[in-house]
Amino acid sequence: MADTLTDKTSARPWRAPRLSLRRREAIEAWLFVSPTVAGFLVFFLGPLLAVMYFSLTEWNLLTQEATFVGVKNYVDALSVNPDFWHVLRNSFVFAIGLVPLNMTLALTLALALSRPFRGVVFFRTVFFAPVVTSAVAWAIVWRFLLQGEAGAVNQLLASVGIDGPNWLREPDWAMVAVIVTRVIKMVGLNMILYIAALQAIPRDYEAAARLEGASNWQIFRMVIWPLLAPTTLVIFVITMIGSFKVFDHIYLMTGGGPENGTLVLAFYIYEQGFKFFNVGYASALAMIMFVIVLVLTVIQMTLRRKDMR
Amino acid sequence: MNLRMKSLAASTILSLGLISGPALAEELRFTVWTGSEAHLKMLNEIAESFKATKPDVTVRFETIPAADYTQKLTFQLAGGNPPDLGWMMEDAAPTFAAAGVLMDLGPTLREAEGYDFADYSEPALGLWTKAETVYGVPFSTSPFMIFYNKTLFDEAGLEDPLQLAASGKWNMDTFQEVAKTIKDKTGKWGFEFKDGQGYESRIMHALMPPIRAHGGDVWANGECGFDKPEAVQAVQQLHDMVFKDKSIVPPGEQGDYFSGSSAMTINQISRASKMPEAGFEWGIAPLPSGPAGESPVIGQAAIVVFERGEQKELAAEFVAHMTNKENVAKMAQFFPPARKSVLESDAFTSANAIIPAEQMAHVSDAIAKGKVLPSHEKSPQILAAMAPRVDTLWKPDAEVKQALAGVCAAIEPLL
Repeated sequence: MADTLTDKTSARPWRAPRLSLRRREAIEAWLFVSPTVAGFLVFFLGPLLAVMYFSLTEWNLLTQEATFVGVKNYVDALSVNPDFWHVLRNSFVFAIGLVPLNMTLALTLALALSRPFRGVVFFRTVFFAPVVTSAVAWAIVWRFLLQGEAGAVNQLLASVGIDGPNWLREPDWAMVAVIVTRVIKMVGLNMILYIAALQAIPRDYEAAARLEGASNWQIFRMVIWPLLAPTTLVIFVITMIGSFKVFDHIYLMTGGGPENGTLVLAFYIYEQGFKFFNVGYASALAMIMFVIVLVLTVIQMTLRRKDMR
Repeated sequence: MNLRMKSLAASTILSLGLISGPALAEELRFTVWTGSEAHLKMLNEIAESFKATKPDVTVRFETIPAADYTQKLTFQLAGGNPPDLGWMMEDAAPTFAAAGVLMDLGPTLREAEGYDFADYSEPALGLWTKAETVYGVPFSTSPFMIFYNKTLFDEAGLEDPLQLAASGKWNMDTFQEVAKTIKDKTGKWGFEFKDGQGYESRIMHALMPPIRAHGGDVWANGECGFDKPEAVQAVQQLHDMVFKDKSIVPPGEQGDYFSGSSAMTINQISRASKMPEAGFEWGIAPLPSGPAGESPVIGQAAIVVFERGEQKELAAEFVAHMTNKENVAKMAQFFPPARKSVLESDAFTSANAIIPAEQMAHVSDAIAKGKVLPSHEKSPQILAAMAPRVDTLWKPDAEVKQALAGVCAAIEPLL
């Protein structure tokens, strides 16, 4: 053994205690994940617990006075405050409008742009560019385009004989406008995910199906769509969570108006917390939003698991 | 530990020490909502002159855009990172004063040498004082004025608002008439609400002047005034202008006055700094009078010191310096003063580099006769409750009276 030589010297260097391979691996693993775990504890679990606690208090951000009020904030939200259900409805309308539109468009674009052809990079860039565009610039341009009479959208509609609405000033149309402009902005991200998934499907599958006489639709329905399922699940979950959390877009496009027609949950939480300084109530609303998103995600994952079996 | 580890640890400790250690020279952090170079240059000059008595003190002005100003300020206060001092808008004053986050400047100002606190007119201080306590010193007591595009008035063959005012014909009816004529003859908008925000963030700035001209008020003594006949009449006229005459830039449309798309707008003289580059002839005139006579509306902003700041005594001294006679006179080119001596001096009317003395005289007049915009401890909640109801008003087929009754129903519990 090499150690026998050093054993004889009186000042022996410090040596790590002998550990089994398993323990050493465990320690190494912990060391590798520790930055993430620390980040998780400090930036996620800590704030989450803090919000849970705040939601049980009446805390004024400005005066810094906090009193423990139990579940009062939840009771207020669910049964006292008339705004809450309206806001929740808006959030669901936004999500139900946005998610299918976004995913259908993303998949369609991905199917068109997953195979190489001349100019494919150009088209992918065009559809992805809005994702990296500043949200502020995006909103300013769209507010300009969506003006009642002078806006380019309505002028275009007028040229084919359609009298367009005053998009951002009528509650229902404002919701449509924020959904569609949000989809156009974010669809590129899902498109890229779908393109990656499509390119990972071996071409042999399609060739085999074609040999069996399958039509294009059958190939998509029987071969490609099932193989895309894991990607679809991921896209669905992140798009849905994103749509419940949408804030910047609403803030910049409509400010929750008109007539609170686009007042969604995340924006309402912001108003309560940072405009009216009711941090306790805002925290309770944030917890409710957290639970809604969690439940929807769990349902989706359970359904998917059953489906795969 | 080997040498590398030791030096790493040492440098980490050292840099942590540098981050948390106190700064050597004293620096006051001052939040403002102006980003204008001319304004900041003037503010920095005032800060520089503070060095005559306090050579080690520097003041850093930090711009936060007006739309988010109050929120961001609140974050900084709540997050344990309070600025030492800052500007504050009139609608935030009652909330912040009631929350106890503003320092009482009374003792410092009354003791400051040559300050002459009594020079501030009492009505101007109304919002910022409670008995002997002084929460802030108004640096801008700026009336809302009509800014007009003379080139467009000439093109339409009309007398401009200043001429109409001189002959005593400048009232809400002629205002409506000229706006319509301009729209019909030039195709440009007759009038745009302040900064084009009259349907959203500046509802009060849009509705307040005509309501006061008709002798009404939006609220007073816990009672809503929107559904009173004076207010209904005033708003009905605006509604007609938007949807019948089509002379006011309607909701959802953009018609920027500063780029020449509207013939008139309402604004404050600090915005005149934008005019020289506008590329058209312009002027400012008083607000049109109404059945209740002249009733100018004033927007106010003050300088406050934050109770949680670490250098509040020093900050208070800077307020005393910044709002002494000399500096108030200096600021008067942008921000109309609340100091009587400056307001009455020629320095105010004739020293403005952009606005002629004749027009500045109307500004002085409006400050003397005007009333500050309404404010309330629950302003943010009131405005939020009001906004969706006001949205129902701005539709072509809206029943104005009914919509305003809805506004009152929404805000009365908060008043």
